[in-house]
Amino acid sequence: MMVVRRLLLCLVLLLLAAVLELTLLAPLPFPGATPPLVLVTVAALAFAFGPTTGAVCGFVGGILLDVAPPAAGTLGIGALILTVVGYALGRLADPSDRRLLVGVGGTAAAGGLSVLAVAVLGGLLGNPRTQWGDVPGLFVTAAVYAALLAVLLVPLIQRLARRLVPEAFSR
Amino acid sequence: MRESRTTRIVLAILVLVSITLVIIDLRGSSSGPTAFIRSAGAAVVAPLERVSGAIFGPVLSLGDSLGSLGEKDAQIADLEAENARLKSELDVVANDKARVAELDALMGLAGNNGYETVPAQVIAVGPAQGFAWTVTIDVGSRDGVEPSMSVISGAGLVGRTISVTPTTATVLLVVDATSSVGARLAGTSQIGIVSGSGRQDALQMQLLDPLAVVDVGDVVVSFGSEADRPYAPGIPIGTVLQMRGTEGQLTRSAIVEPYVDVSRLDIVGVVLRVDERAPREPLPMPTPSPTNSTTGDDTATADDSATIDDSATPDETAVP
Repeated sequence: MMVVRRLLLCLVLLLLAAVLELTLLAPLPFPGATPPLVLVTVAALAFAFGPTTGAVCGFVGGILLDVAPPAAGTLGIGALILTVVGYALGRLADPSDRRLLVGVGGTAAAGGLSVLAVAVLGGLLGNPRTQWGDVPGLFVTAAVYAALLAVLLVPLIQRLARRLVPEAFSR
Repeated sequence: MRESRTTRIVLAILVLVSITLVIIDLRGSSSGPTAFIRSAGAAVVAPLERVSGAIFGPVLSLGDSLGSLGEKDAQIADLEAENARLKSELDVVANDKARVAELDALMGLAGNNGYETVPAQVIAVGPAQGFAWTVTIDVGSRDGVEPSMSVISGAGLVGRTISVTPTTATVLLVVDATSSVGARLAGTSQIGIVSGSGRQDALQMQLLDPLAVVDVGDVVVSFGSEADRPYAPGIPIGTVLQMRGTEGQLTRSAIVEPYVDVSRLDIVGVVLRVDERAPREPLPMPTPSPTNSTTGDDTATADDSATIDDSATPDETAVP
């Protein structure tokens, strides 16, 4: 029962994040990268529930971004990257360690590195779209946006998780 | 310790599944299991995007117009000046237009280059860090939209549809690095291929004729594909910004500035069908009739653009 509720919470939040990222954040003229809302949501869920849930949420969030229109890239790239992000961030801050700074720093690093990973994997797999000249700018802006979103979302999702799935925190 | 071990197993499985998906997708993304996952996922997310797009669409448009408020004042002044000038030209044009319409009717070309389009609103955009220039629009197979249809805006060619769900369609923009369009320099016979560069302000055009004479500012229009899929003919794409390469190379290339600003797309149209061109018939001989001024008056004034056939028949019946 607890697992079902936890998965439901994660799924709803990830769907919401994916839809908002594509229909609200991407059309807005942010300089550089689009604020990585799904990545930050995965990070916040990983901080709240640990590395296992983090990895699963990363996989689900990545698949969502890979299939949600107007996605046109290779299926599985986003899932691969966000799975690793969810696992790594879940390990970085185990539920006993709740300092916000660690979470924000880790999320910012993940935001920047995920841009790099998309470019490198795209280059290895022969994606003709990769613009190497843009990568440094996207790296920095993605990290900044991820940090800003994390300041907002990590405490919020933490509280939401405690409210809706209290069993997960009784240990 | 046990917790950590399950975690690692879960991680390993998910990573392996992801890599498997990548490999299967690279082998052939148009069919097979990944195509199924794609369409199933799109079918789930698309309705949510439509709802969200309906909520945020007006907000985004408003933000866009607020942002360009300063530009608008100057724009209005420019337009007023232009309007006055155009008004004075209008009388001349009206006369020319009547003549052109008559000529068109004569050639049996009336209605050529008319497109039947379905209007659509852009509801979602691909994230910048994905490097793909794609958008989602709020019409789908329910509205008659299919993959490989031209998408246009008031300014010119936007792109083509690459996939559809019942309620949405994904558009590959002309500036995407994987997009290429057969194109022609308007007014000349020079043809070439316009491909996206991944940058929103420049397209590349490869001209097939190495000795082609191209001037900066020349207009590039789509050449048109077979059966008008994916690109309908005669859609303006952009203007030549600069030439590249020297004459004598196997091909010449030009940088083309697209008419459409893909970062500010709002309402677009999907070309469902290009109007059929009327069959060209041999021109009828004009029949000089001296009684034209007395008997044929009514029909001539009532229907100026009528073909010669129409105005000629009453004459003949009236002669005896």
